[in-house]
Order: sequence, then structure tokens, then C-alpha cells
Amino acid sequence: MGILENSLPDSILTTRVDWMINWSRASSLWPMTFGLACCAIEMIAVGGPRFDVDRFGAGAFRATPRQADLMVVAGTVNFKMGERVKRLYDQMPGPKYVMALGACATGGGPYHKFGYTVMKGVDRIVPVDVYVAGCPPRPEAFLDGLMLLQKKIMRQRVIRAEPKKVVLPAGIGAQPAT
Amino acid sequence: MSQRDTAWGPMEVQRVAASEAAQALQAVGIELKLCVPNLPWVAPEGEAKDLVRRAKEEDAEPVWRGDAYLLLSEPGQVTQALQHCRDELGYSQLYDLTACDPAADETQLKLIYGLRNLKSKARLILQSRVDKAAASVPSVASIYQAADWHEREAGEMYGITFVGHPDPRNILLPDDWVGFPLRKDYEYPDEYNGVSCKE
Amino acid sequence: MSSHPAAEFDHLPGREVELDVATQDCLIHMGPQHPATHGVMRVLLKADGEILAGAQTHLGYLHRCAEKIGENVDWLQYLPYTDRYDYLAAMNNNLGYSLAVESLLGAEVPARAQYLRVICAELNRIASHLFAVGTYGLDLGAFTPLFSALRDREEVLELFEKICGARLTYSYIRPGGVMNDAPEGWLTKVAEFLDRFEKTWHEYWTLMVENKIFIERTANIGVLTEEQALSWGCTGPMLRGSGVDWDLRRDQPYLIYDQLEFDVVKGIGYRGTLGDCFDRNFVRMFEMTESVRILRQCLAQIPDGEIMHEEVGAVIRPAPGESYVSIENPRGELGHYVVSNGTKIAVRVRVRSPSFCNMSVAEHLMPGSMLGDAASIIGSVDIVVGETDR
Repeated sequence: MGILENSLPDSILTTRVDWMINWSRASSLWPMTFGLACCAIEMIAVGGPRFDVDRFGAGAFRATPRQADLMVVAGTVNFKMGERVKRLYDQMPGPKYVMALGACATGGGPYHKFGYTVMKGVDRIVPVDVYVAGCPPRPEAFLDGLMLLQKKIMRQRVIRAEPKKVVLPAGIGAQPAT
Repeated sequence: MSQRDTAWGPMEVQRVAASEAAQALQAVGIELKLCVPNLPWVAPEGEAKDLVRRAKEEDAEPVWRGDAYLLLSEPGQVTQALQHCRDELGYSQLYDLTACDPAADETQLKLIYGLRNLKSKARLILQSRVDKAAASVPSVASIYQAADWHEREAGEMYGITFVGHPDPRNILLPDDWVGFPLRKDYEYPDEYNGVSCKE
Repeated sequence: MSSHPAAEFDHLPGREVELDVATQDCLIHMGPQHPATHGVMRVLLKADGEILAGAQTHLGYLHRCAEKIGENVDWLQYLPYTDRYDYLAAMNNNLGYSLAVESLLGAEVPARAQYLRVICAELNRIASHLFAVGTYGLDLGAFTPLFSALRDREEVLELFEKICGARLTYSYIRPGGVMNDAPEGWLTKVAEFLDRFEKTWHEYWTLMVENKIFIERTANIGVLTEEQALSWGCTGPMLRGSGVDWDLRRDQPYLIYDQLEFDVVKGIGYRGTLGDCFDRNFVRMFEMTESVRILRQCLAQIPDGEIMHEEVGAVIRPAPGESYVSIENPRGELGHYVVSNGTKIAVRVRVRSPSFCNMSVAEHLMPGSMLGDAASIIGSVDIVVGETDR
């Protein structure tokens, strides 16, 4: 949001503007077609007629990271692919979000122990916003994760400044982290 | 139509093919041993107990089930054997080529070549043994092109050098991977290119 | 520079200046994140203008160490991993692995279990081919076939959900039999699905396969000859598309396939040369109708009885030995080479995956074709990357 980003105080005007921006971001998420493994098939099923992700505004699957703002890591990430995942994430314009779909993207899944090339969670290379459980997750779980992400986006501060850090006087409770 | 002997496919035709191929290959001067399983195709009642009893015996004769195979005494002769199988015996397809590490304390790796004859509907398995320390066999990619990728895979997974392979790069693993993952004494890496492999 | 592609325009006015242009081959990376590679696979294309001069396939972006895992977990624990290498045909993978383990156990499963296995495997073949045909349309730029195919595929998945509770990774067929018996009324539901599917099959045929654009994009493109197909170890629709009459269900019959009547579909060069991309898709289309035939016979013949072999329990210790068992997967021959030393953990579980062998020939079909045909050739191979990389 340019120079206005995170610069204005909380007020009825700025909260409404933030709500408006967040609402438009949340209701038109453009995911990147980034099917890696089994979970990708369920991701395609979500795009299909029965589950119809278009109802939630996230049906415009883009093949290029430049046009996408949601990276759905659908499947197992191994080291060879991990380099590409990082590069594709860096190519996406902000604001960008990452959904780790399924057990493998979340933490290695069934390949956690003996998979020598499997990365134990995509969060080791890119920041993840939503984790969806399942191996593979059902399409309903994907939609649940999507709605969770939309809720998270609605809470973002865009033009409002981040709340000031509360520093407690010494001796009163524990200091909050960051 | 091939006869169905068991629920997992015809077995008789494979054993006949193996013994015929053994004779034909020996006739052209290839040293080999025909290995035939000595357990019945379908387990009789009480087989499990019998196997445990026999395993406890001293100097027990090895009993096993599965496919009959030809064991080549000299791994260097594999190109000659496969050439003969393709040109004279009609095995037109190499369906599989792989290796196996029987145990960490063994000194040799198994190499397994699977051939198929589409006319007689028979499979033929050839095996050879190579030393782990200096694993090197001639490549058969010039005979069966299917061996190209299979040899690359076996090479990176077991550290076998296929002499004369047209393109001996890694196929599944990254180029800078250390170690041969499918060997039994393989140690899992701690990190790869700065990403931790630990829990 | 007579060999220059622009040389034929040299006589035109304004072209008197002698062209001294050196053309350079252009390297194009297709993948690993590309919608037409059906997953994460990279093809390095060398393009001379619009013509492909060469191609090189790079695999390994989904290597998940399935074979190493097979040597570390016990025989039954490995079953869920078989679901995950060909995730479009998980029932067939379960079947292949279960048969391989049973061949070492020496255990023949009861008749009802064999029928249930065939029913599930053939239903999964239909679902897998539907997905293959649908995504092939997507590769060529048509969205509609995929969504139509997904509609029917969801019905198959619903049937699977009723019988085993999972949509994609079933682990339903297990060594010794099947997980549980078909719920009441399930077989009738399968029959109802077949009735509906036979009607919608004609939709795919008229909508997609007889479509002029589809024919233009696939006929005479990526021609795979019979010799090539055999030498590169191709199996399944890839081999049959080249006119080779070979199907493991008929030629090495397993389970009850020797008691069922069906035809082996092979390519005939219906709209072009024998062995082109069209023929491979043609084989898949008609294999679905053959599966319907098989399913109808199974539904009529299925007996009552046990569904698990009585001696195969939770921990299995197959007899020592080594065995290779192959079945006809939707993509070709899925072979499991299993080695046992009599303990509860395998010495070696080798997976001979059809996509791996089929894909190895694709880079040799590309030189000489147009750049846009690369997607058509890769799509016609119908790979599942989980299976090429395992």
C-alpha cells in the first residue's frame, strides 16, 4: 500500500478502509497451480464441479507465480524441489500467503522418518500461513483451510499502524515476546 | 492363452522358460547356474512352523519360494547373455533392471535383469553378483534402450558403475548428493544445502 | 547461408542485403512447475525456431524414497505407501503389492475377495483413465473435458468411500484379502453407476475425441513405433497404442481374469499414423468400456463367502525367497520385486513403475515436432510423477 502502509492510527475511517482492502484480498485469492503429489489431485477435485472452490473466490488457478497470491503447497517437498519452491515463492508479488496442504507439506508426513530426501515440512524454507491436516486432506478440509486463511486475512492491518509494543515495568509478569 | 496356476499369475511357464534359456545360454559358452525354488507355489498347511524348525537346524538347506532365475557366474558376460536372449531366444523387452543389497555385512550386491518374451508369454530373470567395493558391470543400454534410465537409477542408489553407459548422471537424486541411499549401511544426512534434515 | 530458414524470402524486394545471421538454439525449461507436466517434472526443450531439436527429461522432484521405506517398515506397514506412488490408481497399487506378498506367503485369497479386488481395480481403472483423458484435454487447452471427467470420477470415489472410507488412498486391498466386505447395496450402486457411465462415455467421445481441434493436435504427432515401444520397455496404453497386442490381464492372468471375457484394445491408427498421440488416447477411451464389461461380469458372478485368508494375520512373515509379480495398472505394468529373508521386514521392495519406463521414451519422440506439441506428447504418456520418482 505504498507510503500509507502501516502508518495511520486506529480510527473508524482507517478500520473501515482496512476492512475493505482485506475483504477484497480475502475474497479473490488467486492460487498458483502448484500440484506436487497426491494432495494435488484433491486440489483439482476442489476446483471441479462438486466442491467448486469458485464459490469462495479462489478458483482462478494461475500457472505463473507472478499472477498468484496464494501458494498451495500440495504434496511432498523434497530437497530438489525445495529450491524451486523457494524461488517460486520469491517471485510472487506481495501480499502473499502459503497454505501447507496435507501431512507432507506440514511436517514430512509418512515420509518423515525414512525419507532421506524429503523435507520435513515446507515451513523450513517458506513462511506458512495455514496448515491443513490429512493425508491427503479431503476437499472439505481444503475449503476449511481456505476459510481459515480468509479469516486471517481479515485481521490484517494494512494502513493502520501495528499496535505499539507493550513494555511492562520490571517485576510485573513476564515480558511478551517481540 | 497362458494357464493361470496361481492367483498371482502363471508360474509353470516361467520355470520352463528358465530351464530352456539356461540350456541355450550354456550352449553358447556362458557360465551360469539355474536356481529353482524348492517350496511349493501354494503353501501347505503348517508351513510356517516347518520353516521355523528347518531354519533352526544346523547347515539347513536353504528353502525359498518365488521365481526361478539364472545366476551368471561372470558379471562381464551379461552383455553377451542379453544379446543372445534378445536375438536368438526372442526376449524382446527388458521390463526391469535393478539391484539389491542383501545385508549390511555382505560383500556383494545382486544385479537383477528381467526379460520378457511377448510371443511365448514368458518372463526370464537373470542375476549376477558384483563386489560392493568395486561395483562395476558393462552397460546393456545399447542392447535394450529401456536399461538407460534403470541403470542410472541403480547406479545412484547402489553406487554401481555401468561401464559404457551413454549418460551416467543421477536421475532421481540431486547431482551433489552424497552416499548411496539403498545400500544397507547408508547413513541419513544431517543437512542438505543448509536445510536441516533433523526432526 | 542457404540453409537459413529465411533464405526462401531472399528474392523478395528489400532483402538484397546478404543475411549473415547465425541462429542459435533456444533452451526452454518446461517445469518443474508447469501445468502440462502432470506434476513436478522438468523437460529441457531445445528449440530451433518453432521446431524442437531435442529434449531432456529431468526427474526426481518428487523422490520420496519408497523403496528405502520398504526395507525399514514391516510388510503390512508398507501398504499405505503403495497408495501414494500412483495416487490416481491406488487400488491397483494395493493389488500389485498384495499379490507380490501373497506369492511369497503362498496364500491364495478366497473367491469373494478376488472378485471384490477385481471390481475395485477396474473401477479405479475407469477413474484413472477419466482423469487421464480429462487432463489431456486440459493440456491441449480445453477445460470442459476435465470438469466432465471429474463429475464421473467423483461418483467412483463415492463408491470407494462407501466401501473403505477413503477418497484417494485406500489401503483396501491388503495381503490376505480385502479390508472389509462390500456394504449392503454397494454392488447395486456399482451397477447403477455403470449404466450412467455408459451413457456419458459417448459424451466424451463426441465432445473430445471426435473434435476436430483435438484430432489436429494429436493425430500424426509423437509417433511411437512398435520396435521403439518394445526396446524402451513401454507397457500399457503406450505399448498397445503402437499396435502391440499385449495385456497382462489376458497374457499372464492373475486373480480371476482368466474366467472373464474382455478384449484387449490396441491402436489402429484411427485418425492418423499407428502409434501417435491420438491412438494412445483412443486405447484409454476403449479400455474404459472394456472395464465396464469386466465389471458387469464380476457383478453377475460374485460369490458369497470369506474375504480374508485365514492364515494371514496382522504380522506376516513370508517364506524366504524373491518374487516378481506384475499386474496391469491403468498406466502399464506395475511390478513388485520383493525379497524376503523370512523375517517381518522386507530385504528389498522394488517397484517397477510403468510411468518411469513410459516416460523414458518421451524425450525421443519430441525432436522434429513443433514446440506446442511437447505438451501433447507428454500428456499422451499419462505420467504420474509420484510413480516415476517413487
